[in-house]
Formats: sequence, structure tokens, C-alpha cells
Amino acid sequence: MTRNRSMSAKNILLQATMAVSLGLFTVGFAAASPTDDILAGYATEASALDSSFDGFSAERGRTLFVTEFGTGKEDTPACTTCHTNDPTQLGETRAGKSIDPMAASINLERYFELKQVEKWFGRNCKSVIGRECTPIEKGDFITFMLTL
Amino acid sequence: MNTSAPTEEIPRADQPGQTVAVWDLPLRFFHWSMVIVGVTAAVTGFLAPTWWLDIHILSGYAISILLLFRIIWGLMGSHYSRYKNFILYPPKVIAHIRNLIDRSAGPSLGHNPVGAWVIVGLMFSLSLMVLSGLIGLGGQEKLGPFAFILSFETGVRALSVHEFFSWALLFLVLTHFMGVVVEQRVFKHPVISAMVTGDVPVGDYQAAGNQAAPVTKKHTTIGAALFVLVSTSAILIGISLSNKPAFGYTQIALPETYASECGDCHDAYHPSLRTSAAWKNILGTLEDHFGEDASLDDATIQEIAHFTSQQGAENFDTEVSHLVGRVDTESRRMTDTAFWKKRHQDIDDTIFAQSSVGSKVNCNACHSDAPIGRFDDSNIHIPQGNLP
Repeated sequence: MTRNRSMSAKNILLQATMAVSLGLFTVGFAAASPTDDILAGYATEASALDSSFDGFSAERGRTLFVTEFGTGKEDTPACTTCHTNDPTQLGETRAGKSIDPMAASINLERYFELKQVEKWFGRNCKSVIGRECTPIEKGDFITFMLTL
Repeated sequence: MNTSAPTEEIPRADQPGQTVAVWDLPLRFFHWSMVIVGVTAAVTGFLAPTWWLDIHILSGYAISILLLFRIIWGLMGSHYSRYKNFILYPPKVIAHIRNLIDRSAGPSLGHNPVGAWVIVGLMFSLSLMVLSGLIGLGGQEKLGPFAFILSFETGVRALSVHEFFSWALLFLVLTHFMGVVVEQRVFKHPVISAMVTGDVPVGDYQAAGNQAAPVTKKHTTIGAALFVLVSTSAILIGISLSNKPAFGYTQIALPETYASECGDCHDAYHPSLRTSAAWKNILGTLEDHFGEDASLDDATIQEIAHFTSQQGAENFDTEVSHLVGRVDTESRRMTDTAFWKKRHQDIDDTIFAQSSVGSKVNCNACHSDAPIGRFDDSNIHIPQGNLP
């Protein structure tokens, strides 16, 4: 009996440990979402380029989003050309296809996959600004979208 | 050959009320059905062939069946329905024209000599119209019973014949109509009621010294049986031929990468809309893709290029592959091809601007079969009413 009791006490301890670890794991996973990983990557790049970098700014991201650059392709002077002034709404490509909203609250999956994020920054920064975006600009942009 | 009395021009005698049957019921059924479907085909063909192609084609099928029936009926119908009793002998035609001019022409049982020639002309041009229409439909539109065997080029040639003979046919129909008006109004011969009831006044019949075998119920029975046989077999054969795969068009599935990558900003275009060489050029200049940067990584480009090197406009024989796909413009835009412009010239800019369309390159918005590269006229549905 004593032996059995100690066995079951051990089991309870084991189960409790597993539950706690699982809980911690879940919390940890939630904290490091794919979007955070992407932002962390841009932050590392940003620090490497500029030692005075002290974090992304949603306000700078907003400015980037609404600025009429006019330095890229003629037909796409600003992000808002296709995405409209309201990132929570549908946009429309020049070819007439609708674009899912940019706001993370509506469409967080947009910022899950680095390859996709890089594909669209790569294309659209060149189309709108006429050059690649800096890691700070990319981070600011996503940070802005995360506030919406 | 019996060229004597029956179809001679005869003096009109008045014995009101008494009539005798001249036109058998199958012939009258043919005549008035042809009027209905013929007018339908003419209206849809002359006025707006693209928008009403479905109705035009259906009436064309109906005309084919009616004509086929009439051609056979000319061999086995009642006396005046048969070719051998048509008065086509030129001296008689000239004599009849003289009688028409000096207003002495009597009523004819059956077709009068001028009318008979018009009927021959009508049947000949109707046959040509039906044939050229079916060949055009098969070759150019890749539809109908001959789509499986005919090339685009053959179809285009047939349609120019179709267009030319439509005017010849229109002329003959008007001539026929004028003949009827002259008979009815100037000579007071009741030709219209004869084609409705089948009967002419009995006096005319007797005066002609008619030896023709009379129209009987037997003609109605045989005619009905023949019509059922002709229409059923034509429809069955037509359907089975129409179901064969069209010449020069195979429906292909778009590879996933092609569909998703090319479908980001616009729906992925069917590969038949550009030649393989033009696709290669487009894939090589993605950083300036019609005014936007549409760069892709090399591996993705390779994968798409592999597909477009095997499927381009030159691999299809459809109308769109010939008139848009194979045509390269300086701008490389499909919307700058002569055919695109011509076909869309009547479409107002507000149609393109409405939210469900958005641009001139959103083919799918109106062409529901654009994704499979067909662009059939009957699959055009222009969205209306949600203007921005």
C-alpha cells in the first residue's frame, strides 16, 4: 500500500510538472508569434545598420503608409493608391482585383511568413518609393498595422 | 415529264366558298416555322450577333432541321411540294414575266414560274447560310457539331461566306415578299390564305384542268413522321458530334504556382492569351510589369517559365488565341490589340470602373469562362448597376 501510495504521489507530481511546462510552453509560444519573430529580425538588422536604433514607431509607420512619394512607378505614388487610406478596408489593385485589408486585427496572417512579407515589401517599396525599404521602415510599417 | 395543264397559269373563276387543297400541311408547317425562326435568325444576326449568339445559333439549328425536312419533302411531298413540279423552264418564266407586266397573269396552282426560281434561290442560299454558319461556329467559336474537325481559319472564311450570303438571302426574301404582295394586291390572288389553309378557290382548280394527285391526309401523316425522323436524328447526331473535343482546344489545369503567383494582382490569365515567346519576355521583365514591380524569386520564375514554354497561344486554335494571344503590340497589352479594342468599343468606361470589374484587364469579371481560355460569346455577362 505504502509503495502504491508513493507511486501515485509521484504520478501527481509528474502530471503537475507536465501541466506547468505545457502552460509555460503555450505562453512562450504566444509571446513569440511569427509576427514578433519577423519584427525581431528587422530590429536586429536595424540595429546593425544604425546603432542609435531604439525600437519601431507606429507613428513613423503611419507616415510611411500615407506619404505621397511619387518617386517610384508613375501609377503608384503611395501605399494608399491601392490600399486606400483606411487599412481596415479592402483595397484594389490597378488591375481591379480586391486586396485584403492591411490591418493586423483583421488579417494578422499577412505578417506570419517572412517570405511573403519580403516579397511584398520588395515589390511595393520599389513600385511606390523607387527603392528597397530599410529594415526600420519595414518594422515601422508592421508596427503601425499591429495598432489597427 | 408532265408539263401540261396542272401548273399552267389559269383564268380566275369565282365560285366562292368552295375550295380545294393545294398545299399540304407539312409544307405549310415548314413555311410558317421558317418565317418565325428565319426572322429570329435575321434579327439576331444582323443587329447584334455577339450578344444574341445563343438565340442566333438556336434559330440556325431550327432552320437546318426545317431545311433538311423541306429538301427531302421536295422528293416525297404532295404534288406542288415536289421539285419536279416546279416551273423553271426559262421560256415559261419569260412568258410569266410578260403577263405580270401587262397585268394578265392568272393565278398559279403551286409556285408560279418566277416564284419557283425564288424558292430554288431561297433553298440554295438557306443551305449555304446553314452550312457556312455551322462551319463558322465550329471553326471560329469552337462550338457545335463541327467544332471537333475545323480550324479557326476555316471558320473565319466560312463566316465571310455567311455574311455575304446573308445579304443575298435578305434580297431573295424581299423578292419573295414582293411577289406575294403583287399576287395578293395587284392580281387579287389569295396566295397568303392559300399558305395558311392550304386551299385555293375550287374554280381556279377546275379551270386549270388539274391532273395533280390531290392532297390527302396521308401526306400529313408521312410529313409528320418524316419531320420527327429528320429532327430527332439531326438533334441526336448534332449533340453527339458537339460533345467531341474541339479541334485545337484542350482544357488544361493551371499549375498551382502559376495560378497563385500570377493571380496576386490580377486573376491568372490563361496561357493562350500570349505566345510562349511573349510570356518569356514578360517573365524576364517583372521588375517593370505594366507599371509595377512584380518581381519574383528565380526558382518561382523558372517554374512558371517552364509551364508557359509549353502552353502558349500557339498551342491553341481558339478565336482569342489567334486575335489576342498571337498578336503582339508595342505596349504588350492585350487591351491594345485591334480585336480587343473593336470588341470592347461599345462598352462604356463606367462599366470597367464599377467595383466588381475595376479595370479593363479583369477579364473574368464579364467573361465567366476566361479562366479556361474559351471566351465564348454566350458566356459574357456584363455586371450592371453597382457603379461606384
